[in-house]
Amino acid sequence: MVSSSRLAAILCFLIALAGGIPIFAWLETFPRLVFAAGLIIGILQEFKGRWHLKNWQFNLTLVPVFIWYALQYSNRNPIQPVVSVLVIMLAARLCGEKSIRNLMQINLLALFCLASRSLFELNPLFLVWLALLLLLVPVSLVVLTFHAQDSAMSFTRKEVNRVVLTALLITLLTVPTMALLFPILPRTAFPLWTFLNPTVAGSTGMSDKVEPGTVSSVAEARVLVFRAEMAQQLTPPYWRGTVFNTIHGSRWTRTATVPSETSVPAGRPVIQTIYPEPSSSKILIGFDAPAEIRLPFVRMSPDLVFDYQRGLGRRMGYVVRSGADGLLRTSKAINRNFYLKVPEGTSPLIRQLAEGIKRTGATDQKRLELVEQHFLNGGYRYSRIGLPTGRDAIHQFLFVSKQGHCEFFASSFALLLRASGVPARLVGGYLGGEYNEVGGYYLVSQDMAHVWVEAYIAGKGWVRTDPSRFATNAGAVWNTDQKRSLAARLRLLVDALDYRWNRSIVTYDFESQVSQLRSAGNKLQALEQMIKARWKGLLIVFSGVIVLLVLFKLRLQRFRHNQEYRLLKRFRQVLKTKYGPGLATENKGLFELAAATNDEQVKQFVAIYAAAIYQDKPLGQDEIRQLRKLLDELSASDDTAVISR
Amino acid sequence: MDISHAVKPISLLVDTLCTDHLQGKDEVVRLAVIAMLSGGHILIEDLPGLGKTTIALALAGATGLSFGRVQCTSDLLPTDITGLSVFNRGDGHFSFIPGPIFNNIVLLDEINRAMPRTQSAMLEAMEERRVTVEGTTHQLPDPFMVFATQNPSDQSGTFLLPESQLDRFLICTGIGYPPEALERSIISSGGIREQIAGITPLVSVNEILAARRAVSQEIYLSDKVVGYIHALVKATRTHPLVQIGLSTRAAISLAQAARAAAFLAGRSYVAPDDVKGIASAVCAHRLVTRAGQATNRGELLREIISSIPLPLV
Repeated sequence: MVSSSRLAAILCFLIALAGGIPIFAWLETFPRLVFAAGLIIGILQEFKGRWHLKNWQFNLTLVPVFIWYALQYSNRNPIQPVVSVLVIMLAARLCGEKSIRNLMQINLLALFCLASRSLFELNPLFLVWLALLLLLVPVSLVVLTFHAQDSAMSFTRKEVNRVVLTALLITLLTVPTMALLFPILPRTAFPLWTFLNPTVAGSTGMSDKVEPGTVSSVAEARVLVFRAEMAQQLTPPYWRGTVFNTIHGSRWTRTATVPSETSVPAGRPVIQTIYPEPSSSKILIGFDAPAEIRLPFVRMSPDLVFDYQRGLGRRMGYVVRSGADGLLRTSKAINRNFYLKVPEGTSPLIRQLAEGIKRTGATDQKRLELVEQHFLNGGYRYSRIGLPTGRDAIHQFLFVSKQGHCEFFASSFALLLRASGVPARLVGGYLGGEYNEVGGYYLVSQDMAHVWVEAYIAGKGWVRTDPSRFATNAGAVWNTDQKRSLAARLRLLVDALDYRWNRSIVTYDFESQVSQLRSAGNKLQALEQMIKARWKGLLIVFSGVIVLLVLFKLRLQRFRHNQEYRLLKRFRQVLKTKYGPGLATENKGLFELAAATNDEQVKQFVAIYAAAIYQDKPLGQDEIRQLRKLLDELSASDDTAVISR
Repeated sequence: MDISHAVKPISLLVDTLCTDHLQGKDEVVRLAVIAMLSGGHILIEDLPGLGKTTIALALAGATGLSFGRVQCTSDLLPTDITGLSVFNRGDGHFSFIPGPIFNNIVLLDEINRAMPRTQSAMLEAMEERRVTVEGTTHQLPDPFMVFATQNPSDQSGTFLLPESQLDRFLICTGIGYPPEALERSIISSGGIREQIAGITPLVSVNEILAARRAVSQEIYLSDKVVGYIHALVKATRTHPLVQIGLSTRAAISLAQAARAAAFLAGRSYVAPDDVKGIASAVCAHRLVTRAGQATNRGELLREIISSIPLPLV
């Protein structure tokens, strides 16, 4: 047994928690402390006897807080003061007296607190909290309804269960409405707070330059960059982003004016949809070698680098068509000189090595193979620590330390190619990705950022070569056959949920609404045509349904009065056989019939039957038995009827 | 609901009247008692000499109620019925002398012979159950019931009651000639006026009032029966031979009379049979048939009733 006031109080603390916890991380220190204190004081008051603090005293203390935050409010800082005031008000109500009015206010304030979370962040966790509140608030409302009627009321466990069940039903009833409203209501694809105060998003892990030798170690950051919805590939996929075509010293950068070329990705076309995480980047990434990205405001460079003018600041998705062979076919010759530039200060040892290759190999293809041979046999190790640093880092990597990460491999490889007369450039992107079977997409994180080389082979085109693959420990680094632990699988599952949330809730924007409406219109048209084509069949089906409905209704009515109907029918039948057909068929009342027959049993039958019918009472079991008995007697006493049968 | 204690004296009254005094007039006696129980008035429309007055006298005698009689003529004045103030020389002021209407049962004989002015004064008193003479209102006794008669055949020098006035009578019925054997015995034994004068009261005023209360409060009227009444009323409104169908007041009266009929039958609920049995008497005189249609209104109503299915389930 639990009293209604105690139950209401417990519920209000739970609701306050469900409203307060989601917003807690975004609060300033003072409101955080006030909220925690309010909750603790409230619980202490509830369970350790009441403190004599009146509500108006709390309200009075709120006034300076209000004034303070009102002064804080500005165009640049519109959200924090409002949210802080909300939380402080909630805290004050939690400490105060738990009247019905206050409890309702707590419910409302908690809902507002949760709602204000969406100003800071939109993620699926919001849904969890919302579901919790949507369940708790109706329970609280039902309990409060009882509490309002009788404050001394108490609930048994069974009754509490029933209240919860009722609230659950209320919540469930709202679901169809929500589903109906979801496609219609206007929405935002990004948190309002970010929209008002754009925060700088993290970099993609793919920088705008490649400069090995600036740091001695690279930290791995497992931050999601994008998801790519597509079929799983047999080999770790390459995600092509940008191209670095110019080298200064040891630094590779991208010259915006790319010499014209006619590159077309070769191989079977692969269509994929990429959902990048919001970032400050403008480069659109695609699988292997993207040929086409279907998105407005996209600028394509001749070397197949795609820039999105609007930036990837908000959640979105785009469709990419790629070739899967890692080869860009060119129909015309390229500007070879542009891709053969080698910096002045290249170390003589490198030049010497390159000269050797140039002399041995006559064609681009041969020279490429020789460079590959050098890397394969050179004993280079892939490493993210103990990296060579300084201006001659490439020289150090090639001839001394022989260990480095992909940037070292790629830039030295490309430099060697260029020095030996093969046009080459660096490609920045990502390698690999964790395939999520649940969601059917690749998860690509920042630590998968990668740099590789495209070498130009005359008569063939740009060929992708990844020098990091020639490292002695390449197999260990890019081991794809790792067994996934349970935690990893769980993480993938959660990510799939997050992905679904972003795909179908957050990025469901005005365009999607319009397309949905349009498709609805199309479906309507299709329906119209379908009706035109098969109206006869539909008419038959429709009339069949109507007939069924009518029959069903009739049956229902009959069923309702079944007992009476059957008794009356039999009564008439009996009278007909006993007194001739003229009697019962006329439009006569029951008492008229009884008077006409002047039969004691008929009179009894009518008295019992009419008393039930005309007093709107259902016939009791005893009465029905009695009436049946009378009818049996009536038909049995009819000797002529027996003989005629 | 147990209404048997209320029914008993009334059914005794009806039985005694029908068997001992008014042989062959069962239906009229029943209708008169129904009118009395539902607080209505009765108009008997038949030729002279068939016992209209006798019935009224017998009813008054058997119930022990006071009886007043007004013989209507064309020079009858309203004050002849209601009474008037007369200057009392001994006291030196006017005193009110109540007219014949201040009785429980009032017989208005040949009502169609009175002037419309007098008719309307009477009918107003019937409706309001009070009389205002020279600014003073006098309540009529309770129970109060008017027995009006009119002679349909002798039309010269009469003022036919208009439909709106007819509407104030709950029941309008004829008497008809008695069956042959009965008439022979009546001829041989002579009139029963003297016998009636000696009737001992069979019920008390309190019993009558209790019965009326039971009729109005304890008889259950099912929605099915209400539907039947409504269907009947509606059918009269759309019938091709009827110019003006039954009013809502007619439907109310029908329900009231049906309650009283059910009470008389000893039931605490109304059956459609009650409505059917009473409908002709309650409703026929309220129908206005189309001009040129020389139809008997009673026949017409019976025809309409027979076309409406009774609610049996």
